[in-house]
Amino acid sequence: MNLREAVIAVSIALMIALLAYTIGAGGLGPIAPSRLRDLAVSYLINTYNPWNITKSALSLEAVTAIVWDYRGLDTFFETSVLFVSIVGVALVFRGYREKLGLGGKGLSEIVKTSTKVLTPLILIAGISIAIHGHLTPGGGFQGGSFIAVLLVLMSVVFSLDFVIGSGLTSSKLLMLRSIGLVGVLSTSVALVVLGIVLGTHAYIFQNIAREGSPLSMPTWLLDRPTGGTLLFFNLFEALAVAAGLSLAFLVLSLRESEVEEALGESEWYE
Amino acid sequence: MEVVPISIAAIAALLSVVATYLAVRSRDMLAAVVFSAVQSTAYALIYYVLMAPDIVLVYIPVSVGILPAVAVLLIKKTERYES
Amino acid sequence: MGRVSGMSDLVITLYTIVVLSLVVNIGISLYGVFTRPSLVKKFICLTIFSDTLNSFAIAIGFRRVSDTYPSIAVLSSVPEELSELATFAETAVDPVPQALVLTAIVIGLAVYMFLVGLIVMYYRHYKTTHVRVVEGGSVG
Repeated sequence: MNLREAVIAVSIALMIALLAYTIGAGGLGPIAPSRLRDLAVSYLINTYNPWNITKSALSLEAVTAIVWDYRGLDTFFETSVLFVSIVGVALVFRGYREKLGLGGKGLSEIVKTSTKVLTPLILIAGISIAIHGHLTPGGGFQGGSFIAVLLVLMSVVFSLDFVIGSGLTSSKLLMLRSIGLVGVLSTSVALVVLGIVLGTHAYIFQNIAREGSPLSMPTWLLDRPTGGTLLFFNLFEALAVAAGLSLAFLVLSLRESEVEEALGESEWYE
Repeated sequence: MEVVPISIAAIAALLSVVATYLAVRSRDMLAAVVFSAVQSTAYALIYYVLMAPDIVLVYIPVSVGILPAVAVLLIKKTERYES
Repeated sequence: MGRVSGMSDLVITLYTIVVLSLVVNIGISLYGVFTRPSLVKKFICLTIFSDTLNSFAIAIGFRRVSDTYPSIAVLSSVPEELSELATFAETAVDPVPQALVLTAIVIGLAVYMFLVGLIVMYYRHYKTTHVRVVEGGSVG
């Protein structure tokens, strides 16, 4: 251990000691307080509040209501960051090609058979988590990540050839990802368009009727609340996250030699 | 009876400290990835005890499923042992 | 009464252990980011660091409720009366940090994938993932 590492270690240890002392002495507020902050109380009371409908999201789950209704614009831009970084991955590996017949047999027959049983279960669980996002814990991000695990599992167990051969190419995934993003966009402006047609006011990312704009998304489907826009947002976001993460994994797992061949020596050595 | 769940969280937190230390110290990158996955599992337990099921549902596939897979891909494409 | 406060002290101690372990994790992972020479190891330490910070946000949202355990921020059924909502707000945990961390984790994964792509390109260019080789021209 040279001097530089020792200095870093000592200063980090000092930082930990000071931070621990501050937190232990209650300097950053009491640990696990019994009283909630006012903002949290307001969200909890208004998340499903049919008696005060202009402040409510009509969703049984408070987290999804905050993510897609109260702070919807924030989440929309986070989705844009996701899109941009997936595009960045594809750009760093530009010129990649998906070739078949490069070998790779996957794991043994037993593992393959059990994965075949598991695949529809994971898919259904992911979709169920996504579309019940406003009723139970879950939502678009959770369901999308669940489904994205599927491609990782398939490319490990069945080999990459099988995945690409079965039609999950990167252009199709990019298309699915764009469909998800367009869905999120059109859901967010749906009420604005309806308001222009009917000649009333409406806000972007409006879910339930607010003061000065009486329009509202459908809140009940048969005998279950739908949470207005939340159902559509969760569905499209699950599609976008699943396709985007799968696309990034697919591009990253392409073989080294193929990419080099496609890029050519001259392009990446100045 | 809130002692039992909080004790589980405390044990998981101590386990995560051990796993993080081993992940930082080990020279073998694959071992570091496995220790980081152990740390993620301990964190998922903490989230569950702290009543955040939404985070558990998103954290398990991301940090125990996809991220180790991506890190193993990275190690396969670069080098396994730290020089 | 004395027994109840003894239990309460024990719970506070255990909760402090959780928070202080997270602080220690921050220190260890930052040490890894600063001193380990390999970019891959820096990457693994960075993911641990960001996970720990997210855990802090979740820990801030936790609360204690007298004589019961706090509930999740989800209504179990459609409320029939206004008083049900008041009871819910008295027992549920804070949903705001959970909503913020939820998006941060998924976006973080996409950014890490971009980072992985950059490290692979670095390796192709310099044939190593050691940072000092590039800094000073030799392994130091």
